[in-house]
Amino acid sequence: MSSTTTVTRPTEPSTIALPIEPLATDFAKIYIHIHPFLLLSLYIYRFDAIVGDPVSTLPTLLVGSVGLQLVYILTCLPPTTAGTKSNPPMLAKIGLKKKRTKQNEQGYGDKVIPAVLSLILTALLGVPLIYIFVVLFGGPLTTHFLHTFFCAAHIAFLAVLPLVYVFGVDSGRWRELAGLLIPLDDVVGGALGTVFGAWVGAVPIPLDWDREWQKWPVTIVTGAYGGYVMGKLLGGQILKGKVIEI
Amino acid sequence: MGNGVHKSEFKSIAAAFAKAKAEKEKEDAQALRGAAQDARASDKEWEVRFKATHGLIVAFFILILLFHILGLYLFTSGFLLTRLVLNNKSECPVPPIEPLGIFEPGSSDRGCWHPKSFQKAIIVIVDALRYDFTVPFKAQSAEDKPHHYHNSLPFLYETALQYPNNAFLLPFIADPPTTTLQRLKGLTTGTLPTFIDAGSNFAGTAIDEDNLVAQLRDASRRIVHLGDDTWHSLFPGYFDPNLTHAYDSFNVWDLHTVDNGVNEHLFPLLDKSNAGKWDVIFAHYLGVDHAGHRYGPDHPAMSAKLEQMDGVLKQVVDALDDETLLVIMGDHGMDSKGDHGGESYDEVQAALWMYSKKGIFGRTSSSYIEPPQSARERPVAQIDLVPTLSLLLGMPIPFNNLGAPIEEAFIGRAGNDYVNLAKVRRLTAAQIHRYQAEYALARKLDASSTALPLKLWETATEVWASVKKRGNPDKDLIKSAAIAYSKYQFETLSICRGLWARFDVSSMVCGIVVLTSALIMLGFYARGIDGDRVDVTPTFLVRGFSGMFVGATIGSVVGVSVSTLPLISTTIVATALGGNLGMISAFWSIRKRISSPTPTTLWGWVSTVFPLLLSIGFAANSFTIWEDEILLFFLSTFGALLAISSFRQKSLLDRSLGVYHSVLFIILTRIASLSRLCREEQMPYCKSTYYASANSSTSAGWQLLIPFGLALFLPGIIQTYYNRTKSLQGMAIPWLSFALRAFLLLSAVFWLLDAADDGDWLSIDNTVLKTIKISLSRIVLFATFGVGYIVYTRSPSFLNIETHTSPTANGTSTPSDPSQPVIASPARSRVSILGYSNVHGSRYFILITIWLVAVTMVQKPMGGGAIGILALQILALLEIIDHNKLTDTAVGPVVLGLLGSFHFFKTGHQATLASIQWESAFIPLRIIVYPWSPLLVVLNTFGAQILCAVAVPATVLWKQPPKKRGLLGNIAKAMATHVLFYATIALATTMWAGWLRRHLMLYRIFSPRFMVGAIVLAVVDVIAAFVAVGGVRWGFLSAAEVFGPEVGMSI
Repeated sequence: MSSTTTVTRPTEPSTIALPIEPLATDFAKIYIHIHPFLLLSLYIYRFDAIVGDPVSTLPTLLVGSVGLQLVYILTCLPPTTAGTKSNPPMLAKIGLKKKRTKQNEQGYGDKVIPAVLSLILTALLGVPLIYIFVVLFGGPLTTHFLHTFFCAAHIAFLAVLPLVYVFGVDSGRWRELAGLLIPLDDVVGGALGTVFGAWVGAVPIPLDWDREWQKWPVTIVTGAYGGYVMGKLLGGQILKGKVIEI
Repeated sequence: MGNGVHKSEFKSIAAAFAKAKAEKEKEDAQALRGAAQDARASDKEWEVRFKATHGLIVAFFILILLFHILGLYLFTSGFLLTRLVLNNKSECPVPPIEPLGIFEPGSSDRGCWHPKSFQKAIIVIVDALRYDFTVPFKAQSAEDKPHHYHNSLPFLYETALQYPNNAFLLPFIADPPTTTLQRLKGLTTGTLPTFIDAGSNFAGTAIDEDNLVAQLRDASRRIVHLGDDTWHSLFPGYFDPNLTHAYDSFNVWDLHTVDNGVNEHLFPLLDKSNAGKWDVIFAHYLGVDHAGHRYGPDHPAMSAKLEQMDGVLKQVVDALDDETLLVIMGDHGMDSKGDHGGESYDEVQAALWMYSKKGIFGRTSSSYIEPPQSARERPVAQIDLVPTLSLLLGMPIPFNNLGAPIEEAFIGRAGNDYVNLAKVRRLTAAQIHRYQAEYALARKLDASSTALPLKLWETATEVWASVKKRGNPDKDLIKSAAIAYSKYQFETLSICRGLWARFDVSSMVCGIVVLTSALIMLGFYARGIDGDRVDVTPTFLVRGFSGMFVGATIGSVVGVSVSTLPLISTTIVATALGGNLGMISAFWSIRKRISSPTPTTLWGWVSTVFPLLLSIGFAANSFTIWEDEILLFFLSTFGALLAISSFRQKSLLDRSLGVYHSVLFIILTRIASLSRLCREEQMPYCKSTYYASANSSTSAGWQLLIPFGLALFLPGIIQTYYNRTKSLQGMAIPWLSFALRAFLLLSAVFWLLDAADDGDWLSIDNTVLKTIKISLSRIVLFATFGVGYIVYTRSPSFLNIETHTSPTANGTSTPSDPSQPVIASPARSRVSILGYSNVHGSRYFILITIWLVAVTMVQKPMGGGAIGILALQILALLEIIDHNKLTDTAVGPVVLGLLGSFHFFKTGHQATLASIQWESAFIPLRIIVYPWSPLLVVLNTFGAQILCAVAVPATVLWKQPPKKRGLLGNIAKAMATHVLFYATIALATTMWAGWLRRHLMLYRIFSPRFMVGAIVLAVVDVIAAFVAVGGVRWGFLSAAEVFGPEVGMSI
């Protein structure tokens, strides 16, 4: 146990993980606080429809959510530099410096390509991966394919999309994330919150309350949205910069 | 440590083992031991001390077992319902109330209390004859198709429809528990069963209450019994010894022996020449029940069986004379898998058909001539049979009866003889009234509970008085009298149902207190003592046992001298209290070494929170119903947490292997979760996959491949884990590569033959096949325990010596692999010990494989697959624990607890009585043999928990350095943690069952879960003490022979 309580990060010299700082624009400073509540409001607005017919409502809600998430990453987050340029995957720090000096000149055009790539990566890798996770944790294997698929899509676009945008394909960062070895910030907090919320969302399913909203996957998606907001609050504000110790 | 993958360093096995060993010992003497003579002496001293210490730790777990048994006994004695049995008997000359009119009571020839209708009766019990087996199938929707059990027994329905005066068919509702023994008690005494008898199905006891069979015997009627031998344990010596033929009732794989036996002896008795030899025949057929248990109701064997019964019943009717009453009934139904015991709709609904050639039956309405379509319409209670038969045969109604006479039997041909109906209802009600008065005397009842029935009784008496007053009362008035008496009977019955749910709360509280204190002490022992537990265990043991002894003495003295206290309970409470005080004093004596057992690390928290969440969840019926899915969720979560932890490891090897095994663990968990046996409450959200279909209890064809796959792959996979540390040495090679595979293969063949037997695929005689099957399973069980334990206890440690010349002869050697320490490096050759890095783990794992074979043998093919996956999960867990350095945490024992509970469900079980696979008792046996038959059922039911408990020491031993200090103490710690897991669950389920004792779902959900929790705790305690902790002895002794003393414990 002693060896796991005092954790030092893996010794790759290049990765000096710092919490991700949102862009310093005025819009970003405001929108980063509004964004989770906008998402949650949208979700609450559509909640009854989701309960009524998840398979047809979840995709339309997904369009809105992805839209908001794109606004969020484009306006508030520094894009990864790894993968899009030939730089080695160590640019968390350098990238930040660059952003601080250049961000005003940097047009949205430079961010659109990483954003689109993140969108594609999340859809092609994130969604199937989350789908597999949901099934591994007891989600239906042979039925409810669309239910589970849209559930996984919502979780992926909430949790994975911003991560891909800031981490890119930097495997070192991803591995650190898998070991929870990186400091909490808005993005990581939101992602962990989403996953934890979805986990908690499974709890009411077996209860015999006979409520319509207990059906698959409403509670999971609800938990994910709730967890996303909570995670952002905790990670982005209260516990920012903290590293989880095991 | 995980250095096993560096395989390239060993290219050749050079020296022969004997030579190398001699060489090694020489080296050992220099390098590891010091002077050889001193070493011998200290070896001997260490060995004696080790054996003593080890024995004390085993004894400590026995002490814990004692605490648990005391607590569970106390709780159970207060929780399982008790009804005061009155020994009063009804007497023929003493009717409960003055009869009406000219009838003179007291002669059993004319009828004791009421004119009798029949001199003789044949009562046929077709075990598990569900009501819907007897009525024609009517489709509710277009997709509704008849099942195999439909339309195969039309005779009863058709007769009732065509000859309503001769026959009637009604749903016949049982009071749960729906086990045959309980049912027979209800069907003969007319009173309600109590739960405590449910478990005594393996050892029935004689009925000493007043009952119909005893009344018949006392009236010198000659009673014959044929069939199910449960009757003889209930009514020993009641039956005519020459004509009676009983058959073993528990061999559920045998569909025909009992039925053919009954037929063989029944029909000669029906012959006119034998008519004078008997008065009442009880014939009990078991084929339908056994077909249900073996195949499930929706199987061709069931329709064949029902068709056979149809023919038999027709023959009985043909042979019947006019003076004989024929009753055909089921004693309970069966669920969709053909099992029974609980209180679901399908289990309680049986059929009742009464027939006589006299034609005295009637219906109050012509619409009642057609028997009800489902058991929900116009059902009668099974206890109603008792007053009905008693009065029809001219017997007094048994004293404790609570049932009502069945309307159809007394209403007369025209269906309007309300005078007769009112008379019999009045008699029955009066007997109930007399019984209630006696019961109230024997056991103080509060006035409020008896007020309503008393009022109803008075009302009925008043109505009757007004009937008597008028010389020629009209039909409506008599009808209202009949209804008034019926109301009284009904109300009393429902009050009794509530009343006998009477719990002894003080005893239950005592039990919970004992269990709680045992839990706290175990918690401190497991997680709250600093340093090696080996030093402190003797103190606990001595003080705990002496405390118990003193307590038992004081308790028995107090119990004898104070007459208001019950002796047994007082003694038990005092024993437990004394033991507690002893333990507390032991904790006090080592108080400096005690720390709070509350967790301080994340792993500590996780290992605490998840069992607690599970325990809290058992307070809700939904979480209890869905326990299997919750365990899947928890295990996946643990797997994910272990994967995260693995990602944090610094060494690439630890990281990659840790992540690999964590992911493997999660995937295996999910694969195992596909094996499901749903309980009724999980419907319709659950699909059973354990058997071929939801309505059968046989395996599908593809499932028969699973045991063969197991035999093919599992031994090889285990060997790869051994190979990683070069531990595949010595006896491990023949055991793992040959014996294990051979035993698993034999068990696979067993299940193939079993399926062939079920499906009649082979043209071999059934008895021959049965002999082959029994021999196969006996060989496997004897061999795995016999040969396995010999290998495990006698074999030296799985080590070998390798000498190899270094290709680079100069001094600069490559960094050596620490798992194969170099003993000596002369200039040209190096000698290393193969298997060094997992010397304890590889040895101990053999014990796990022994139990693996035994558990697999008694599981159905699907369950065998689940156990195979469990073995892989245990291996993955051991690797994860090693790579994440979690040996000292509670993770291993707690995850094993979750795994054991999870695979309980995956081996086709649920926390319900109906899911017990009784037939597993007959895998290696033909008949019930004590104690083996119950032990086999336990091995089948709790196989997963047993295997996981056996695996607990491996979490401490796997890949640990041979001379690591305090291993024995750590094993005690891990085992105590594991037992703590089950003790927490058992305490929680106990508390919830006690707290929710008035809950609607008590018998369906909370009570069975409590019983599972309690039995699992006791089983795991026994396995922990005798198999797991007891089993580490040989490993340490053999390791000490190689590595010298101080292996496992310091001197």
